[in-house]
Amino acid sequence: MVNKALLSTLPDDPRYLDASYNVQGPLPEEDRNLLSNLKPEERELAKQFWEAVKSDFRFNEYLRGCLNCGVCTSGCPAAKFYDFGPREMIQYMMRNEVDKIWEFVNKKVWACVQCYTCSMRCPFNNEIAGLIMLLREYAVKFALPSAKEVLAPYRRVLLTVITMGNQVTPDMIQPDAFPDWGPQAVEESKNMDVYRKAIPVDLLQRTDIGWHSSLQTAVEIMTIFIESGVLDSIKKIDKDLYDMIMDIYEERKQTLEEIKEKWKKGELKEEDLPDSWLEL
Amino acid sequence: MSVQSVEKKLEEEIKSEFPYADNVDWNEVYQRIIYRYSTPHGLQHVKEELYKLEDEGEIIVHHIKPENNPVEVQTLNGFPKKIPTTKLWHHKSCGQCGHIPGYPTSVFWMMNKLEVDYLDEPHQTSCTGWNYHASGASNPVALAGVFVRNMWRAYETGYYPLIHCGTSFGHYKEVRNMIILHKEIREKLRPIMRKLGMDIVIPEEIVHYSEWLFVMSKKAAQQKKYDLSNIKAAVHTPCHVYKLVPEDTIYDPAVYQGRRPAAPTGTVMNFGAKIVDYSTWWDCCGFGFRHILTEREFSRSFALFKKVIPAVEEGHADVFVTSDTGCVTTLDKSQWVGKAHGLNYNLPVLSDAQFAAIAMGADPYLIAQIHWHATDVEGFLRKIGVPVDDYKEKFLQYLQDLREGKAEPQYLYPKHRKIDFYLALPDRVKWYKGNK
Ligand code: SF4
Ligand code: SF4
Repeated sequence: MVNKALLSTLPDDPRYLDASYNVQGPLPEEDRNLLSNLKPEERELAKQFWEAVKSDFRFNEYLRGCLNCGVCTSGCPAAKFYDFGPREMIQYMMRNEVDKIWEFVNKKVWACVQCYTCSMRCPFNNEIAGLIMLLREYAVKFALPSAKEVLAPYRRVLLTVITMGNQVTPDMIQPDAFPDWGPQAVEESKNMDVYRKAIPVDLLQRTDIGWHSSLQTAVEIMTIFIESGVLDSIKKIDKDLYDMIMDIYEERKQTLEEIKEKWKKGELKEEDLPDSWLEL
Repeated sequence: MSVQSVEKKLEEEIKSEFPYADNVDWNEVYQRIIYRYSTPHGLQHVKEELYKLEDEGEIIVHHIKPENNPVEVQTLNGFPKKIPTTKLWHHKSCGQCGHIPGYPTSVFWMMNKLEVDYLDEPHQTSCTGWNYHASGASNPVALAGVFVRNMWRAYETGYYPLIHCGTSFGHYKEVRNMIILHKEIREKLRPIMRKLGMDIVIPEEIVHYSEWLFVMSKKAAQQKKYDLSNIKAAVHTPCHVYKLVPEDTIYDPAVYQGRRPAAPTGTVMNFGAKIVDYSTWWDCCGFGFRHILTEREFSRSFALFKKVIPAVEEGHADVFVTSDTGCVTTLDKSQWVGKAHGLNYNLPVLSDAQFAAIAMGADPYLIAQIHWHATDVEGFLRKIGVPVDDYKEKFLQYLQDLREGKAEPQYLYPKHRKIDFYLALPDRVKWYKGNK
């Protein structure tokens, strides 16, 4: 039976009204003893991490309460394959369980496939997949080991998307990297040059980029990533990648400015430009 | 028992079951319930705020104009959504252009056939949603900046953005909501856009190409070249098309009584194929953003066991039709590996765009580029009567000629100037479109 005295004093936070618990709202540290479950050397970082996530402007908007119904986990593809489920994460968040959040972000958060099935089905309209992204974003920002591990094989993709404005390189399909894709992948990589040439759109004919973007576009997307602080996070995780991107940025920005200047003065001769700035 | 004693008993029971009933402020409880079941992203609210911000001069709205020849359809909650059908700016998908090039070329080809005016430029970037959902290496201001920069490039040409990728579509809806609902994002975003000589521009509707194709499909099907009435098609509706900001996805009473998104199921129906159902229709394809690159054990198992096998065993499908980049890739590439466990599945996978273009008589190699697919698309083509061998012979010759420099590449629309690969010049639309 629900405790009368407790329910007559509901906590300020409108998310808490949960008949399955005697205590409404997060458990106090004395009761749950969360911090002792964290290794002493990680305690401060774990606390800072969780405080940072909670203070993000999206956190309260995305987390709207929880019935503990499990609808989210029951439809979750990742939960069918990994020891992972969105319900547990939401419950840790609702209960302010810093130790469990820390464990979740270091072990499990990368299992999610971002399908948004949970978000669409949650009866409380929790933006669950968005909360997962919040944890991932901050894992990168805090340069946590799990983020480093995830980003390591992802460097090339990051480099391409930030410096060329396009995430995909057709020639990344190499049979040794994609042996499970079968003989078609072998055919594809063998004929990559001519296959690309046979696509009837001029932007799509290179093997090293999904579509050929303009130099100005490439400089603009780098500017956005730099000015918005994404590069600051990357610097903490992968200094070499950061240096590489900044060098490319400086160089391309200067080339762009020179070309723009010439064009403004009416001095630019198109025939003097190389066919592609990617060859500069 | 008398009426009074029944009532008294009832009261006592209620008291013992809900001992706190007298002490609780019920109004507060109602407020909490309303809070928890409501969503801050309600579409109507977002739209109202959008026009308010436009009136206040905070943002520029890219409106759908009569010249875009819009068609009105319904969204999940019955609100209308305008789908522009012409004068469109292609916001391409990096994964499509990189690995399923027949996907965008089928869209361009159909637009040529249907005399739709469009623009495809080198001044677009990826939405960066794939990167974000995979790695988390971005932040709200960066995501907003990428969105607005692309939308600005479309806005300045006067062509309305049409989003090819399902992830870009869902992701942009989310980013749009965030920009509209959060002043602090706009405040951080504006100086960055100013630095690029741009302002914050938001299109009135975020429109996916599959929505365009659905509203055009009856008209397009009039040009159908092959009979599809013997074809059983299973559809996979991409998660990011209808689960991410679900409210502005379109539904139609004629498509599963409005219980499934209208596109791409409605398109396949309008082309005359028989839709077959399977129990996991709502499940994800297994793409997973980072999983397709670094956790493929998950991707291929999920695609095969949860999607392909049910579509074949329950639906007896001849073809799998879907409408997003990651889904075509995952469903198509995850079947061959099943052989290792004696699971011999080879269900042809096509995007709705390729499916429709092929039905309208597009060259399966030159236009639909089916040689980039791993599954047995040729088998499907034979079933509907496409003279595959003739097309193939011609195409192989074309490849040979390209290799030997005997042929020039063919184009669906005139090539860009060299300068367009460097600068986004103000005169470019005039140049592309001649005197139009
Ligand atoms: S978005 Fe992630 S947590 Fe939610 S259902 Fe999909 S895989 Fe599971
Ligand atoms: S579906 Fe929503 S309410 Fe139910 S357990 Fe998941 S987060 Fe909680």
